[in-house]
Amino acid sequence: MKKSIVIVGGRKKAIILAKSILRKGYEVIVINESYEDCLSLYEIPGISVIQGDGTKPYVLDDANIHNVDIAIALTPNDEDNLMICQLCKAHFSVKKTVAVVSDPKKIDFFYAMGIDRAVCTISTVTSIIEQQAFINDITNIIPIRGGNIQIVEVRIDGYSPAVDKQLWEIDLPSEVIIGCILRGDEALVPRGNSRISMGDTLVLIAGQQQEIPAIKALTGR
Amino acid sequence: MQIKPQKKKSSLFTIIIGCGKLGASIANMISDSGGDVLILDKDKDAFRRLSLHYGGLSVVGDALDLDKLKEIQIQKATTLLVVTNDDNTNNMVAQLAVYQFSIKRVIARVVDRDKESIFNANGIQTFCPVSLSQERIGQLLSADDPVDGQTVDTEGREQ
Repeated sequence: MKKSIVIVGGRKKAIILAKSILRKGYEVIVINESYEDCLSLYEIPGISVIQGDGTKPYVLDDANIHNVDIAIALTPNDEDNLMICQLCKAHFSVKKTVAVVSDPKKIDFFYAMGIDRAVCTISTVTSIIEQQAFINDITNIIPIRGGNIQIVEVRIDGYSPAVDKQLWEIDLPSEVIIGCILRGDEALVPRGNSRISMGDTLVLIAGQQQEIPAIKALTGR
Repeated sequence: MQIKPQKKKSSLFTIIIGCGKLGASIANMISDSGGDVLILDKDKDAFRRLSLHYGGLSVVGDALDLDKLKEIQIQKATTLLVVTNDDNTNNMVAQLAVYQFSIKRVIARVVDRDKESIFNANGIQTFCPVSLSQERIGQLLSADDPVDGQTVDTEGREQ
């Protein structure tokens, strides 16, 4: 049977997400309060559109979302997204619920309330902007748990103060560890006496926004 | 802040979220009986509904803002009454109070009856104006003597 997904709320995000999910072969139902948004969603071939307030149980019922595989709540209000996901779980036995959360401080709360995935757009977007701003030094940042933990790739060039130093000699913040040294095709497991050479790429695991000071210590910038 | 008459010292502290007609009247009632009460609303004009003798605290702010809830020391509340005009806001504030601030007694208004089970699943006591009105009207309609409304049994819906 085709897997089905319901998307509640969201304007541009809903359109782009719906198109991409349809291409992956899912059945897509969208629920949107605004008539204009529904019209533009309706132009996507193969999509089911329901106009209404997705936080109302009867609207979800009309959309026939019983046993849908995934529900995604995209409205701009955290309280609405919480209600949508909780209703989907409790009344419609939706298997997995995903909520967009605007307040990063509420991520843990959403998980505690039984939401399967809470995505914080603000912290995700800011971390990408940060990544782009430091693009010369860093090739990749992966935020985990709403950005509390970051996995960062740092390239060591000839100007870096860390070149030819052993790891214990480098003054890194205590919330940061070097998880791996990538040298050519090799991945080395770092020890205190491992020596960094020019051209290495270091994989850092950093907590509490300490990745920037760590990158500074490693690259001098 | 006004100085309120200390009729009796009690450890009970009620916080009310939403200064609408209901929130304000409960705040006035608690204040009149000498209880400790704080009322929060995001609109400062809402506080005009409080009586001139209101002796509790009134704070302007958004109840969905965790920092605001910490600022009003929500964790000290023995009872939290959540009566904003939006069910989804009431649901989130009430659940934050239970989960984040471990408040024992949280009572919330739910306008849409179909949402009541979501609140109850997380240990939140609820009341629904439509259900209460329906019950009352039912009592009035079934009363023997249509003139004397006092003869009907007005037991609450407390669970």
